[in-house]
Amino acid sequence: MLRKKMILTFPPKIVEEPVTYKLIKEYGLWINILRAKIEPGNRGKLVIEVKGERKQIDNAIRFIRSLQVIVEFLEQEVRWNQEKCVDCGACVSICPVGALSLNNKTFKLEFNYDECVICGYCVEACPLQAIDVIF
Amino acid sequence: MKIKKTYEEINKKIKEGKAVVVTAEEIISIVQEKGIEKATEQVDVVTTGTFGPMCSSGVVMNLGHSDPPIRIQKAWLNDVESYSGIAAVDIYLGATQASEIQGMQYGGAHVIEDLLEGKEIKLKAISQGTDCYPRKEINTHINLESINEAVLFNPRNCYQNYNVAVNSSEKKLHTYMGILIPKIGNASYSTSGQLSPLLNDPDFNTIGIGTRIFLGGTQGYVVWEGTQHSPQVVTNKDGMRISRGGTLSVIGNLKEMSREYLRAAIFEGYGVTLIVGIGIPIPILNSEILRNAAISNEEIYTEILDYSVPHREKPSLGWVNYKQLFSGGILVQGKLTPTSSLSSYAKAREIAEKLKEEISKGQFLLQEPIQKLPVQKEFKPLLEV
Repeated sequence: MLRKKMILTFPPKIVEEPVTYKLIKEYGLWINILRAKIEPGNRGKLVIEVKGERKQIDNAIRFIRSLQVIVEFLEQEVRWNQEKCVDCGACVSICPVGALSLNNKTFKLEFNYDECVICGYCVEACPLQAIDVIF
Repeated sequence: MKIKKTYEEINKKIKEGKAVVVTAEEIISIVQEKGIEKATEQVDVVTTGTFGPMCSSGVVMNLGHSDPPIRIQKAWLNDVESYSGIAAVDIYLGATQASEIQGMQYGGAHVIEDLLEGKEIKLKAISQGTDCYPRKEINTHINLESINEAVLFNPRNCYQNYNVAVNSSEKKLHTYMGILIPKIGNASYSTSGQLSPLLNDPDFNTIGIGTRIFLGGTQGYVVWEGTQHSPQVVTNKDGMRISRGGTLSVIGNLKEMSREYLRAAIFEGYGVTLIVGIGIPIPILNSEILRNAAISNEEIYTEILDYSVPHREKPSLGWVNYKQLFSGGILVQGKLTPTSSLSSYAKAREIAEKLKEEISKGQFLLQEPIQKLPVQKEFKPLLEV
């Protein structure tokens, strides 16, 4: 079972086609939509996470690309420099999905990478510049 | 106030390695278990700690004389202007001074951190020149070792009980309380709560001029009340006893300090500041002092202020205690609002533990204040006349 995060950029003309439905029904993938910006008539962007066998994912990507959709992989999303981090918690309330929290026993920062939608708000909020977003 | 111990008695025990030292967190459960009287008898010292942004900080330095000598009128360290209107080669580097070429990405606090890391710092100084100090310019490098004195002298640290900041406007705000999300999207606060030095001695019974403290990794001292010191305990309309704005002015030898306890920070859109690590031991001289030192997060209240209002007096949205703040979410106008601390509780705990260790090993003696700090002081505004 593979797990991949990717950004799909849709050209205006096919934004109305139910791509995610096909990825699930025809390609058998488990999909989690992390972020979506779809405006009819404009380019649309989807940040998704997919789970499936390597062959299923490869086939699905081939299909998506055949629709002129740009696929970019997110290999390393958010980089948290634990050496710079002082566990202040300034980032905690800024995170829109609760991926950052202070452990209620140790009060040290915990970063749940699975929840992260790579919005980058934490980067701006960190006073020690201990968080970086890289694509 | 039955049981009385003296500083002398406690220090004697410390020198013998027999003092019973606990942190301001540990004392809470000890008191719950044993009661005030027994705890006062058994515990000698309670240690406190805090690690948060403290903007009113800086370093007094003496650069030494060059040949030919210069009477500095303007000086820059790594392009951060330092105040030099004090004699020929004495300068004061403020933590929040921004770099002239890097803007808000580098400032006085970064120079301080660079000094602690042993880095070479670019010095530029100019002067009109005098007969006895004919030199008009010098460009050289200094480091923490090469200069004479480097004294961390902070006019206002350890703010006793800061308010909570929220933003009711439609626009995101960049403040010294961090980023405030519109429509009361988050709430930020800055305290180490039950570990906080001044919240554990709200009446300033033991913290005064001369008190020996843990400062930036070494032993330093309280030298004066901090600027804006206004410590009176007030009772608000709901009958809560709130200690407000006591502050401390502290001093210590920067050459003995460590980056572990002094860090430069940048509040995006606001500016540079210095995060200072301070720990203050409280001698348990009597049960009243112990009662104060056993305060818990649940008992400490602070006010929620709306920072979207650009006036000195900001509207209040109510009161909340630190247990609620530390839980990660508070109710503001009926809505559950996520909270963020700007002060590291984990590091405050580390400092209180380190101070406990040093005292237990006989490496840190307690100093009775030579002069008490005022317990009443008006915090006056600046009027336009």
